[in-house]
Amino acid sequence: MNELKQLGKDLLQNGTVKVIIGYAEGTTPNRAKPFIARTPEDAEKLVFNKYCVNNLAVYLTRKEYKGKGTVGIVAKGCDVKAIVQLIQENQIIKDDVYIIGMNCNGAVADLGKADESLAVKCLNCKVHTPHLYHTLLGKLEEMPKTEDENLKMIQKLDAMTAEEKWAFWEAEFEKCVKCYACRQTCPMCYCERCIADKTQPRWIESSAHTRGNFSWNIIRAFHLSGRCIGCGECERACPAQIPLTLLNRKMGMVAFKEFGYSAGMALDNPTLVGNYNTTDREDFIK
Amino acid sequence: MEEKIISQGNLVSFVGELIKNNCMVIGEDKKGLGWKRITDAGEIKINHKDIPSNISYKEFLFPKTESIFYYKNKKEDYELVEAPEFKDKIVFLGAKPCDARSIEIMSKVFNWDYKDKFFNERADNSIVIGTACNYQDEFCFCTSVNLSPSTEKGSDLFLVPLDENTYALKIVTEKGKEFIQPYAKYLTDGNITRTQETLAKVKSPEKKFESGKVREWITGNFEHKLFDAIGSTCVGCGQCAFACPVCHCFDIVDEECSYECGRRMKNWDACQFGLFTLHSSGHNPRDNQNKRYRQRIAHKFKYYTDKFDEVLCTGCGRCSRGCPVGIDIAQVAKEINLVANQV
Repeated sequence: MNELKQLGKDLLQNGTVKVIIGYAEGTTPNRAKPFIARTPEDAEKLVFNKYCVNNLAVYLTRKEYKGKGTVGIVAKGCDVKAIVQLIQENQIIKDDVYIIGMNCNGAVADLGKADESLAVKCLNCKVHTPHLYHTLLGKLEEMPKTEDENLKMIQKLDAMTAEEKWAFWEAEFEKCVKCYACRQTCPMCYCERCIADKTQPRWIESSAHTRGNFSWNIIRAFHLSGRCIGCGECERACPAQIPLTLLNRKMGMVAFKEFGYSAGMALDNPTLVGNYNTTDREDFIK
Repeated sequence: MEEKIISQGNLVSFVGELIKNNCMVIGEDKKGLGWKRITDAGEIKINHKDIPSNISYKEFLFPKTESIFYYKNKKEDYELVEAPEFKDKIVFLGAKPCDARSIEIMSKVFNWDYKDKFFNERADNSIVIGTACNYQDEFCFCTSVNLSPSTEKGSDLFLVPLDENTYALKIVTEKGKEFIQPYAKYLTDGNITRTQETLAKVKSPEKKFESGKVREWITGNFEHKLFDAIGSTCVGCGQCAFACPVCHCFDIVDEECSYECGRRMKNWDACQFGLFTLHSSGHNPRDNQNKRYRQRIAHKFKYYTDKFDEVLCTGCGRCSRGCPVGIDIAQVAKEINLVANQV
């Protein structure tokens, strides 16, 4: 990955970018972690490999970067989906971002483990080569075929009765500790004041009991409908291992089926929820 | 210290009897998620070789959400109803030293000026059956915070796995001695030499940093440039605080429980949240993630130690293992040691 280090160094040196949001090696070589390179020397620490699973677009909406000069970002296709969605939602300006696009051959789901299975997002990935970038680095390789267990689980849930679904999610949400790691790692959860943090009135109880956990997790799923780009960071970050991608991916599947919309794929189109089309279906309004 | 032997079979029978006697026996979840109440003694496992669960057993002492009182509307008045007293006996089974120590450490803050009856009711009713720990990975650092995988500190009773089917049982505290007395039939005479030999073989994680030096350095370097970027990749979730066996911050909120009744709740809170220090005026003294991360480090290694002569950390490594952005608290402390040594 010398080309990445070199490019990072050049971009920082010639002032094209103020900082580069990238990855550095984690506690062990089979881990990578987000890293902010601020000087050409910092760029030496940049890495890119299959352990770079984080979606770094989450940092783009932070106030220390937003609107304060061009920010470089090392981005896989899935991260670019988040960047595109953020541009579509007018959260960042396209010209404020310099995308170092990475050809990606999948990222490891669970860092630091002997089992290096790929993340769910990689199984049906259509953006191994990012769809928007300034410079493209890395080589594409053949990826191993893996069963999409996540999709099977969604189908299994679809086949359940409402009561069974309720029981399934009740048991899952019961485990929630309200650490909000799902929200904080999500590039689409950029609200300056999340509805969960509003206190006058308090819409969502902060208590981590069944009622409070249901209202938080269900509201988050609704807020991400047609917006979730499927990076799976929420599920990966969850210390209680709540299978949040089952919810968010399902909502995305509905958005695609009903409206032909895939989040983060079409820079010049309006967003799904920010757009009205006379041909949109209305038969669900009764 | 008195010492006995208990076989795996007898341990199961012992736990079976505890469950029958309505003890809340809390064991580590097999999935490694957290701790849960054991209802079938047959499923107990002493996880001395396994990775610590994602979340510690703190929630059985200091629940993630808890009612502290209820209030009911009457026509011209209101009525306050106390939360029911906690009377169950809690037995933590198979706590590694990094978990076992948590009650003693948290007790100090919960009994400092105000005596927190909710914590105390649970802590006083708890028995910790610890275990020597034969697990370690790159995130373990108990030896950097005055603990070790073979210490019985914090345990009332302490298991030392001698082989697959046998444990030495050290009777550490008076509380432990009293508790085990009715179950003496499950114990046989101990072999101190064998236990000592076994404990001598327990491998300790290398010492990664000097916690005392972290404390000293922070004292004079609150505005040091190291802190300018220390939280630059932190996303501000509460995973670290909520997984931690000793983080103890909470928030108090009122909520309704029915049309006529409300309750005041004590809920976990975390210093990495932006709202944690937000004043009603709009001012926030910790207005960015660097300041919030500095607080995390300073509270663990300086403020708590200054006040209670205790590091607010047991070196379990849960915060680092679970951090979605790979922040490793031991590495941060090590970095502080390095900077301190340069001066």
